[in-house]
Amino acid sequence: MEINFQFIGLLLLPWISALLVGLFAHKAKKHIASISISLSFIFAALTCYFIYDLSGQNLKIGYPWINMGRVSYFASFWVNSSAKLIAILVSIVGLFVQIFSKSYMEKDANIGRYYAYLHGFVGAMICLIFSDQIYVFYGSWELVGAFSYLLISFWHQKPEAIKAAKKAFLINRFADIALIFGLVGLSSHFQTTYFSAMDPMALDIAPTWIGIALLIGAMGKSAQFPFMSWLPDAMEGPTPASALIHAATMVAAGVFLGIRMFPFFGESVHLFMAGIGAISLISAGILAIFQNDIKKILAYSTISQLGLMWMGMGSDASMFHLWVHGIFKAGLFLSAGSIIHFVHHQNLNHMGGLRKQIPITCLAFLIFSAGMMGIPLTSGFYTKENIAGFLWASAENSPFSTYYFVLLGALSIGMVLTSFYASRLFYLIFLGDSREQNPRETARNHGLQIIPIALLAILSLSILVNLNPLHAEESEFLRYFDLQSFHVPDVWYWITVSTWILGIFLTYLTRHWIPKTNVQFLSIFWPSLFKLIFLKSAMVRWIEVQVYDRFVNKLARAQVIIAHLIAWIDHWIVDGILVGGISKLSQWMGAGLGRWQSGKVQSYWILVFVTFGLFLLFTILQRG
Amino acid sequence: MIESILSLLILIPLLGSIFIGFGVIKKYIRSIAILFSGIQISLLIYLFTKFDLNATSFQFQESKNWIHLSLGSLGQFSAKYSLGVDGLSLPLLALTSLITFVALWNSTEIKEKFNAYYGLVLLLNASLIGCFLAKDMFLFYVFFEFMLLPMYFLIGIWGGPNRNYASLKFFIYTLVGSLFILIIMLGISIAYIDPYETALLTGAIQEGQSFTIEELFAIQKSLALQEIPMRQIVHSFDIQAMSDVNNCMPTSIFSPNSGWLLSGLSGREWGFWLLFVGFAIKLPLVPLHTWLPDAHVEAPTPISVLLAGILLKIGAYGWLRMAIPFFPKEAMGHAQILAGLGALSIIYGAYNALAMKDIKKLVAYSSISHMGFVLLGIAAFNVEGWQGAIFQLVSHGILSAMLFLMAGVLYSRTGNRDIDSYSGLASKMPVFTLISGVAIFASLGLPGFSGFIGEFFSLMGSFTSPLLMPIYPILGALGILLGAGYLLWTFQKVFLGKHYTLNATWAMNDLSLTETLSLYSLGVITIALGIFPNMLFSISENFVLKLLTNIL
Repeated sequence: MEINFQFIGLLLLPWISALLVGLFAHKAKKHIASISISLSFIFAALTCYFIYDLSGQNLKIGYPWINMGRVSYFASFWVNSSAKLIAILVSIVGLFVQIFSKSYMEKDANIGRYYAYLHGFVGAMICLIFSDQIYVFYGSWELVGAFSYLLISFWHQKPEAIKAAKKAFLINRFADIALIFGLVGLSSHFQTTYFSAMDPMALDIAPTWIGIALLIGAMGKSAQFPFMSWLPDAMEGPTPASALIHAATMVAAGVFLGIRMFPFFGESVHLFMAGIGAISLISAGILAIFQNDIKKILAYSTISQLGLMWMGMGSDASMFHLWVHGIFKAGLFLSAGSIIHFVHHQNLNHMGGLRKQIPITCLAFLIFSAGMMGIPLTSGFYTKENIAGFLWASAENSPFSTYYFVLLGALSIGMVLTSFYASRLFYLIFLGDSREQNPRETARNHGLQIIPIALLAILSLSILVNLNPLHAEESEFLRYFDLQSFHVPDVWYWITVSTWILGIFLTYLTRHWIPKTNVQFLSIFWPSLFKLIFLKSAMVRWIEVQVYDRFVNKLARAQVIIAHLIAWIDHWIVDGILVGGISKLSQWMGAGLGRWQSGKVQSYWILVFVTFGLFLLFTILQRG
Repeated sequence: MIESILSLLILIPLLGSIFIGFGVIKKYIRSIAILFSGIQISLLIYLFTKFDLNATSFQFQESKNWIHLSLGSLGQFSAKYSLGVDGLSLPLLALTSLITFVALWNSTEIKEKFNAYYGLVLLLNASLIGCFLAKDMFLFYVFFEFMLLPMYFLIGIWGGPNRNYASLKFFIYTLVGSLFILIIMLGISIAYIDPYETALLTGAIQEGQSFTIEELFAIQKSLALQEIPMRQIVHSFDIQAMSDVNNCMPTSIFSPNSGWLLSGLSGREWGFWLLFVGFAIKLPLVPLHTWLPDAHVEAPTPISVLLAGILLKIGAYGWLRMAIPFFPKEAMGHAQILAGLGALSIIYGAYNALAMKDIKKLVAYSSISHMGFVLLGIAAFNVEGWQGAIFQLVSHGILSAMLFLMAGVLYSRTGNRDIDSYSGLASKMPVFTLISGVAIFASLGLPGFSGFIGEFFSLMGSFTSPLLMPIYPILGALGILLGAGYLLWTFQKVFLGKHYTLNATWAMNDLSLTETLSLYSLGVITIALGIFPNMLFSISENFVLKLLTNIL
């Protein structure tokens, strides 16, 4: 099959699936999940086949889209190695999430809508990954956010869910304003609107403000500091959707933007990115310890792990961790979903000792947690070493080498925190004794939930990347996706091992302590902004009603008053005195003069003579 | 090719209005009105198929002598009945007949005096179409003024409890605006000559002879040297003649060389600002907007749809057709102020909308906010900004129609428009929720819908324009954020959450077939325009390019 044809099919298939599922949701309610899963399977298979068919080559396709005077914008797409890797991640995780959802969501009435949203999300995400033209990129970026809104607010009877959805959407929108100006700035700097045509070699690297604007946009999507508060709230959505959106794919879009813009910017932007990542890594890691809700811990751990990717500054190290994290975090969320399905709640205070009841989930969870901690035999190990190696290598030939070592220090603190909360989570769920006070009848764990978890666990193992569990350099996987690997000095291994030990030791010390409430990220940013907006809107409203409208009404009323005044003048002065006076005068004069008209001839004669006499008198006096 | 198709476009609704006015078949009035509107739409579709996308000037032109006066030493005046279509008016014409159709279609709530109602709506449509077709400013003004009459009655008779206040406010505001336009129209027509008519009168060319560019220059040169005797000068209201500053008599205050100043502004600047303000009232631009929320709240749903969908667009049409081509240098010189006013409208309207509890008022203020983008785009004076502004006109026409219909759906069921009176309608009215979601997400500028394209290109144009500081587009973008705030807030309050209505006895039935058809077809249009914006851009492109090359 022609490769362009395949590509169009790939872009359109999720949207078509979304439409089909949405349209037939009512007609075939029983089979809608199976139909949707098969469509998703076709999509995943097509993605893999398409990438296999490309055999390591890149592909660029453009379609005429908008003409703006002399410039025409093509809706153009660029399949490069990083895009391929994430496309595989999205399609595979998408498929697993759909399979998992079949039993997880089976009691829900609106399952068709749910599956349609999932397909739509995947469609937007695929569009985002492959987009070459910046406006296509921005458009799909926003669409991804919109589908996230829809999925978070899927259970729209829950007030927390719709609140969280709105918060997520608005924070993302806020960050997107910076993104759009960054993108327009980028396109005017490079004189092109296509990522693939932007060449930092020919022109100079782009100015720092553009990079920071773009990164602010990415911070919103990746829930990095200070925009992190929306992601834990977003856990109100269905758990499998969280696995897809808030773990594996959407939040990674921010990192993907970082990867796209990596070559266009200089060290200052890269260091800004890494700094934000380091703050997020540590602060979210600390917050993850103070949660009792299993999903919230995972949400904070996602922020923390994304911070780790940001510390890779968008280099190949970030890219590799993006893939690995996508797999194990989706696995963690699906396992959490399976646990929640099993015990009917998500509070750690009432869990514990579940290893006997759900051994397979327990084992998978162990592998995923090990991946998160970066323990050998999981691919998580390679990626953490890679990020450290990247920072180390950059430090060597940089004027900012102190800064890099600060980042490395932050990374090791982050790793202690990661192994602390990861091992703690595992301990509190699976080990020890059950803390369930009023055990309800537990649901049987469905096979369809186990399969995706088990597959993800296998994908998390290091064997798939490389046979050697300590070094990934000679890996076929990295070569196929054109990823560079970085080497760390031996001292780093000692640091790594001590962070694991320290983390697990901390878990041992605090094993009986569980926080009573979920401690939230100090929401300085969000509520005050929101209140400010409402305050301002009330103020503007006041101006509107009290000033403008009142002014206009007063103006109108003044006209009426003037009108009455004029009417009064008209009635009493013009009509009364002037017109009336004149008419009175003429009446009076008429009456006076009328007396002269007696009709008697002798009176006329007298009048004539008197007049004539007066005339004579006048002429005589004139002469004299 | 149909002869004088443009006149037919005006004539059909007029005929319909007369036919309905006689009230012969009372039972089928609505269907007859829809039929007439449908004929108009099919004529427009025919026009679309014949429209030449590559032509840069007016097409399907019609011109007849109408009023010709000789004023002795003042010269001669001629007003013509001349019509034409170009890339600016065609999308707005399409919008007009589409929105009229939708408004008539959704007029089932009108229960009394429907003869007069449907007659007036068709009359309004005729004058709107006339406005967009007129190539002669006098003719434009006649249609522009005439439009007030049906609108005044439509709000004043079929409106809500406070309708007298609202309709009067609307009438007075618009009248003030048209007064400004009238002053400038007369002023310019005295100051400018019609080169073709003058050439005919002076004998430079003969009747039927073609008027070449050299002859035009010759006339303009002798005008500049004041060689033409006053008696032989012909003044006209032709918009094209007025758009060429070389047609201006050197002695008038509108001449660029005139030293006339009034409180620091030259004659041309006064001309621009008066014309600008005259049209700004119609848009409406903050702070000339207070008629709009009142008019919308009191007007019945279909009239709100017409008001927001088309009437507001005439303001921007007037700027692009008259204010800017007549006074391009002055407009560009004040681009910063224009952009500032646009940004002010965006932010101010959005903040007000955020404070609203009444759905219709909220949509009305959101209209003010969205029309601010039009001015922001126009102030950019580049292709992106202007294309974005024109796109935004059409897109807002469709989206505001959808939003008002949405408010109308609620109002017709309950008689209550408070956002707080509803909650969780999604569980009772899924079909309505879906399409309202489309309308709301499209209005807040989600990519894939038409609202995004208009706002995006207006912003991008003003961001890349060398005339403007970047603060204006940034303020405009903050307006988008506020827009997302109030629209999502409304959506969440009304549609999501637990089901609740103020009065438990309200029957919240899902959409009827009539409502479904109109809302969903508008939804399809907004998605189609959002994905394939070139459908519209390709029509307006030549207009924008020509105007820009003329003024730059």
